Amino acid sequence: MWTGVLGILLSASAFARPVSYTGGWTLIQTANRASTAGLLHYSVSHKVSVGVRHEWQRDDDVTLTVIQPTWLAKRWYGHNYQANVYLTGGLGTATDRSVAGLGSDTASFVGVMTDWETRTLFVSYEARFLEQGKLGNHSMHAARVGWAPYTGDTGELHTWLMLEVDHRKHFDNKTTVTPLLRFFKGPALFEAGYNITDSAPMFNFTYRF
Amino acid sequence: MKKILLVLTVTLTSLPVLADDNQKIMDHHDPHEMDHGEMDHGEINHDEMDHGEMNHGEMDHGEMNHGPEHNHGSHEHPTENAKEDVMTMSVPAITTTDDISAALANGGAPVVVDVLGVVCDFCAVAMNKIFGKREEVSALYVDLDKKTLSLVVNKGASLSDQDIENLAKRAGYRIAAIRRDAEALGG
Repeated sequence: MWTGVLGILLSASAFARPVSYTGGWTLIQTANRASTAGLLHYSVSHKVSVGVRHEWQRDDDVTLTVIQPTWLAKRWYGHNYQANVYLTGGLGTATDRSVAGLGSDTASFVGVMTDWETRTLFVSYEARFLEQGKLGNHSMHAARVGWAPYTGDTGELHTWLMLEVDHRKHFDNKTTVTPLLRFFKGPALFEAGYNITDSAPMFNFTYRF
Repeated sequence: MKKILLVLTVTLTSLPVLADDNQKIMDHHDPHEMDHGEMDHGEINHDEMDHGEMNHGEMDHGEMNHGPEHNHGSHEHPTENAKEDVMTMSVPAITTTDDISAALANGGAPVVVDVLGVVCDFCAVAMNKIFGKREEVSALYVDLDKKTLSLVVNKGASLSDQDIENLAKRAGYRIAAIRRDAEALGG
């Protein structure tokens, strides 16, 4: 099984802090050029979360349902910044929904996510390697930079201008660029962007309970 | 590949800190946290210290071993009477909201906590959730601009520095300093 759990993943959830406060629930929804996905996780401590992820890979018409633990391996605390390294993985089932009817197979992935953030600057990187047996393997890398034109105080609307570059070697357009806007207020985070290389919208939403 | 993963994990978890902020937070209210007797002042470059920022009046120099090379000629140690003159360090006072004002009016005790790593509203949500569940806390506010957590502890209740540090840790953050009562009010 571990031979399938290979590679490095900085998943889309990295951009939204994949581990919350102790006892906190988080709902993360992502939709990009490759997939639409939802992750509901519970943080058993400030370092570990466990969640259920359901993902639809639209190109292949394959769905993925996995249990996804995430570990905050390292956090740096500064007066003006925070930086994190997360390791994550998933184990579950992938199912072919296409007319090919290839059935289901065991799916697993591993990944790593890292970010550095101040009130006005943001940098992150994530990658994932996914193995789905007969349904194929996928790897993904994505990096982001962001800038906030103003510093919102607690409870105010926070706005970020971001640029994401991703690489998916199983796509025709392997490397693409997505400018996006992030809006952040209280427990809710919403992102809207457009992949200018692959002509595909991006919508992400995170809510912390 | 397993070896690569292992190396990666070990490397990531052993990265040197980006700054000294990950070091254990020293609680200056707790004399046991600062044992000057164990300090090697030979390692310290006193020339780079800004003694104007220090309140020597509150230091117990009887506990300190400055060593023979420490030259007090380069700075002054104010006497107790001069303490007010050197209390010039600017530290954020409690952030006043309607809830906090009401809680203070009811006799609650003000506490201001300097928090490290607070950069976004998710940080504020985490602190609100963790501290808001404590019955000792009658009001709180996370101020992203000041990077502080303002608390009002119910009259007659207590919330120790260790409690606050533990709660902040559960929220995923670290404490740099804790101020109480008049100091928390900016006095």
